Amino acid sequence: MTEVPRLERVDAALAGRAPLPRDNGELVFEEPWQARALGMGVVALERTGSSWAEFRRHLVAAIQRQPGDPEASPATAYYAAWLEALEGLLAERGLLP
Amino acid sequence: MSDPGAAEPRPSPGQAGASQAGASHGDHDHGDHDYGDHDYGDHGAHRPLPATDVELRARALEALLVAKGLVTTDAIERVISYYEHDVGPRNGAKVVARAWLDPAYRQRLLADGTAAIAELGYGGAEGDNMVVVANTPTVHNAVVCTLCSCYPWPVLGLPPAWYKSLPYRARMVAEPRAVLQEFGLELPAEVEVRVWDSSAEVRYLVLPMRPPGTEGWDQERLAGIVTRDCMIGTAVPSVDAAP
Repeated sequence: MTEVPRLERVDAALAGRAPLPRDNGELVFEEPWQARALGMGVVALERTGSSWAEFRRHLVAAIQRQPGDPEASPATAYYAAWLEALEGLLAERGLLP
Repeated sequence: MSDPGAAEPRPSPGQAGASQAGASHGDHDHGDHDYGDHDYGDHGAHRPLPATDVELRARALEALLVAKGLVTTDAIERVISYYEHDVGPRNGAKVVARAWLDPAYRQRLLADGTAAIAELGYGGAEGDNMVVVANTPTVHNAVVCTLCSCYPWPVLGLPPAWYKSLPYRARMVAEPRAVLQEFGLELPAEVEVRVWDSSAEVRYLVLPMRPPGTEGWDQERLAGIVTRDCMIGTAVPSVDAAP
């Protein structure tokens, strides 16, 4: 069974340039897929022994690449970048096509 | 649990109550956030729009990762649930343990919660104007946010789902003893129950009484028995909870 890392650890790993979206202190998920994206990333990184630093690098790059769609809310944009970062990291490690 | 439909909608009727309740006060402005009820794919009730591209991409990636054995839907759900329910209260527990050991700190904590909590390095926007209320042999305190779900996040982490539920918010004020009983907390008749209504301006933290049987314990060991619910006031610390 995969050990679930403490949220504080995830926060620490992403602090600075790619913090998890929060409002009033609570994690913001505008739609359920965003929570699943977070869970998916945490589980996949732990199971594949991937480094959070590497993931953060991909995430920051993905955020910067975003076209800046004014229609997209911050949480939607963030978790869209999150998916891209996860795909990128796993592909780089040869775990995804 | 076998789970062939990893990327399919997964209705979860048991979770729907709290988020439905949110609708009645969704327009006031001090922070109602009923996120995270796991009604993934509950399109009819919440989201008449078709799935967006990014959502489809999320589902496709999840299905792919499941197929490759890199994730399971159970593990994903465990992470989501864990982040919503279990993390966070360690900061508050350290505050309580320190107050139990250090009478001067306790005094500062009750006089100015925000400043005393900041002494330990905790604070931030959601922890502003923290008021700490102490349980005594004759007074038991409990916290609610009747309007929404204001919560001292920096010391308690993410609020539990029940804290945000309409029944808790309404009944904790109307019949606190009955609610506490449902949490398994039987208070003697002579103990007065005080219910504190958190708001954007003031957030309350309960300082529970140090239980007997903890003589000689250090701060870390004491903090280990201070659960989140103890600091909301729906439980009291017990030596049986020691790790």
